Parts: sequence; structure tokens; C-alpha cells
Amino acid sequence: MNPPAHADIGTQLITLLAAGMLVCQLLLVVQRMLLTNIRLFALQSLLLAAIAGVVAYFHNATHVYVVALLTLVGKVFFLPWLLNRLVRRIQIHQEIEPLLNAPTSMLVCGGLTLLGYIVARPFTSLERLGNNTLAVAMTLLLTGFFLMFNRRKALTQVLALLTVENGVMLAAVALTTYGMPLVVELGIFFDVMVAVMILGILVYRIRETFASMDTSKLSQLKG
Amino acid sequence: MNLPALLLQLILLLLLAPLVSGCIKNWKAKLQNRRGPRLWQPYFDVVKSLRKDMVISEHASWVFSFAPYVVFLSSLLVGLLVPMLTTQAPLSLFGGALAVIGLLALGRFFLALGGLDPGSAFGGMGSSREMTIAAIAEPALMLSIFTVAITAGSTDLSHIVQATQKPAWQLLNPTHVMAFAALFIVLLAETGRIPVDNPATHLELTMIHEAMLLEYSGRYLAFMEWGASTKQLVLMTLLVNVFFPVGIATDTSAASLGLSLLAYLVKLLLLAGAVVLVETTNAKLRLFRVPDLLSAAFVLATLALMSTFLFQ
Repeated sequence: MNPPAHADIGTQLITLLAAGMLVCQLLLVVQRMLLTNIRLFALQSLLLAAIAGVVAYFHNATHVYVVALLTLVGKVFFLPWLLNRLVRRIQIHQEIEPLLNAPTSMLVCGGLTLLGYIVARPFTSLERLGNNTLAVAMTLLLTGFFLMFNRRKALTQVLALLTVENGVMLAAVALTTYGMPLVVELGIFFDVMVAVMILGILVYRIRETFASMDTSKLSQLKG
Repeated sequence: MNLPALLLQLILLLLLAPLVSGCIKNWKAKLQNRRGPRLWQPYFDVVKSLRKDMVISEHASWVFSFAPYVVFLSSLLVGLLVPMLTTQAPLSLFGGALAVIGLLALGRFFLALGGLDPGSAFGGMGSSREMTIAAIAEPALMLSIFTVAITAGSTDLSHIVQATQKPAWQLLNPTHVMAFAALFIVLLAETGRIPVDNPATHLELTMIHEAMLLEYSGRYLAFMEWGASTKQLVLMTLLVNVFFPVGIATDTSAASLGLSLLAYLVKLLLLAGAVVLVETTNAKLRLFRVPDLLSAAFVLATLALMSTFLFQ
């Protein structure tokens, strides 16, 4: 058994971790327990942080370590903790039946993966690492949007927004520049962080006012 | 095809199958703080059933007595089509992955017929449930086998195993891992393990596989049980050898065969341990939630198939 080449291991690791992110996303789409959803999101972010770490290590891009660390602290520990607390405060643990049932949404997501692949294919020559990580990023984006309108609870919609952001980060880390300039990344990161904190308060307010997290109730006139 | 290899694999299949069932039962009991049956209890069960008289319903036709043999022989035949110790399966000339899937379907068809034939209400219920689950599990099984077949460029299982003789770290690519996960869920469904069916209960509302065997006794029951455990062993062999053919013998010298047997047993016991863990940590799903699990397996297999193009 000959030892694998250095760069080969990096590529293989990135591909494997990206596939793991994709699987997490699909599990998020079918899982209805809110706490498990949050855990899945944390796992997905952990994989993203690992990808950033691998990129930084194998390509000597030191500033990507910062991205990895920020993802680890912010999206693996802080945001899940915040959302967990929110779930405990509003006492709702389970999503109601989504618009499309689990098998159908799985199939839709399979189709979206295909779409993501087709969209990303012209750009594959630009990627320097991982194979088709961009396709996975595209798919995370598309399925994130799908998740957002398939669910009715405001909290899962926030989670969906976060997975979309994970997709953006993945594209940024894995595409040509080994990550966007650090300032831009920091900007996106804190943007999302603040958005989630505000959304958390908003979710709480919705729950207080309507005695439910169902966002479809927001379109009703209250009188 | 050479006769010694055929006989060796046949004997291994027949002897190992009850042992694996026994291991799973025993370990599961240990994890639940019970003493559990001895490892070789399934052998005693088979021998005892073989010696007992049979009670056959007066409404049963020839199909009822035909089914146990078909179930038993079809799973044995499938076992001979799958590479076990060497990369060359004894009967690989007779068919590859498609024959495996077809023979498994034949066995299941007769199992369901055997459940229906005596006209007992439970048997029919069990058959209906089994077929419902099989209708979703089978496409996932096919897709995940086809995934490795595409990578190897052939549906012949021996070819696939030879083509995957790569360093172990290369086997850890997303295609392989996802197809493996899909096939693992199918394994749980096909062998009636806990998230889908509970092998330890005869509670009428939940049983699937046991419901079809309710009318069987004596010799027929022995063949049914032995066939079921052989099928379980064969599916597990498919998982460990087709997906992770580490340590499998490429020639037929005694030393490499011995090493291969050792590697095979270790992989098999690891997989059995994984099954035990899943069985102990999960509760049985409601029947109407089972399609959700199996469609997850199906989509995983589809993704695996797609990622052969996605991550090439």
C-alpha cells in the first residue's frame, strides 16, 4: 500500500466532508424535531469548519484558519446554544407537518442536487481544490431555500437561512481565492450572527402575539 | 468454477449464518443488562425444529410446503454469487448483481406466498407489510449496488470486488460512503431489524417477518429460520466485501485464505456490532413512518449514484 500524495489527501478529505454537509442538509429536510434540527445544523457547521481547516492546512492560507475558528465558535457553539435556549423558552419541540411530506421533499431535494450540479458544471475548471465543491455549495443554497418555504415554523426558517449561509461560505472557501478577503468574510459572518439574534427575538414575539410560530398566520389580518 | 471453493463457501454460509444471528441476539441482551441466549443457541433451535413434528393447516396447499425450500435455497444461491473469501465468487459465472437482486426477490415472493397460503389473518397481514416495505427497499438496494457497479464498470460482483482493490483511504470517497449508508438501512429493513420490524416480538400489531412464519412449525420452520439468517449473512457479506474489500484473498493459497477468513470475520462482527447498536439505541418506527426511513435510503442511494458523476 503506497502512501497517498499530500494534495490527494486534501482533495479527498474536502470531497468527503462536503458530501457530509450535503447529507446533513438532506436530513434537516426530513427531520421534524426542532432540537435535532439544531444539532444537525451544528454538525453541518462543524464539517464546514473542518473544510476550512483542511484548506488552510494544505494550501498554507493562514487567514482561512480565522474563518474556521469563527465558524467553530459562532456556528457550532454559539448559535445552536442560542437557538436551543429559544426552543426551551417557547416550549415548542416539533415542527407541524410540512407542506410537502418527507419522501416528496427528499425527491425534490434530489432534483435540486442535480440542478445544482448542472449549474455549477461550467465553473468546475475554476476550482483548485475538491471536486465539485461548488456544486455542493449550490445545492446547499437551493435546498436551503426549499427548506425555508417548505416549513411553517419561524425557527426552522431561521435554520434554513443559516444553511444557505453555510452554502455561501463553502463556495467562498472552496472556490479559487481560498476564501474571500477576510474583511468580507467577517462582514458576512457578523451580519448573519446579528440577523439570527434579531430573528430569535422576532420568533419569540410572534409566538407571544399569535400563540404559535406558524408564519402563515402572519398574513391574516388581526382584528 | 471449482468444486472445493464452492463447498467451502457453502459450508461457511450454512455454519456462520446462525452464529451471526446468535451474536446479535447475545450482544443485544448484554447491552440491555440481560444475560441473553448463548451464542450457539440458534444452532440448537434449528436442530430442535428439524426433529419436531409439523402441524399444517388443513387449508394449506402445496405452495405452503414449497415455500420454505425456495426461501432456503434462494438465499443459499445468492450466498454463492457473492465473493466471500476470495475475489472470485464460486457461482459468478451464473450472474452478478442483477441475479442477486432477482433471487432475493424470488425468496421474498415465496415467503409472502407462504404467509398468505394457510389463510390465517396474521399471515396475510405480515405478507402485505413485507411487500410494502420491499417495494421501497428494493430500489434502494438496486441503486446502491449499481453505484459501485458503475465505478467498477461491470455488474459482476467478482469484477466489482477486483476493481475496488485499492488502498483503503481511496475507498472513503463520498460515493462509496453514501451507497454504504443506503445499503445499511436496506439491510436493517430486509432482515427485519428494529427501526423497521422487531425480531423479538410476536405482538400482532407490530410483527412483520414473524407474522408470515406463524403457521410454520417443525422442519419447515427450521428451513425458514435458517434461510432468513442466511439471507442476513449474505446481505452483510455484500456490505463488507463489495464496499470494503480490505484483506480479501486474491489467490487461493491456504495462508491468504486464512488471512482473508480472519479479515472477513472481523469486518462481519464489526457490522453486527453496528446493527446491535442501532437496534439498542432506536425505537421501532410506526409502520407509516417506515417509508420515510426507506425513502431516505433511496435518496441516499440516488445521491451516491449521482455523485459518481458529481465527484469523479
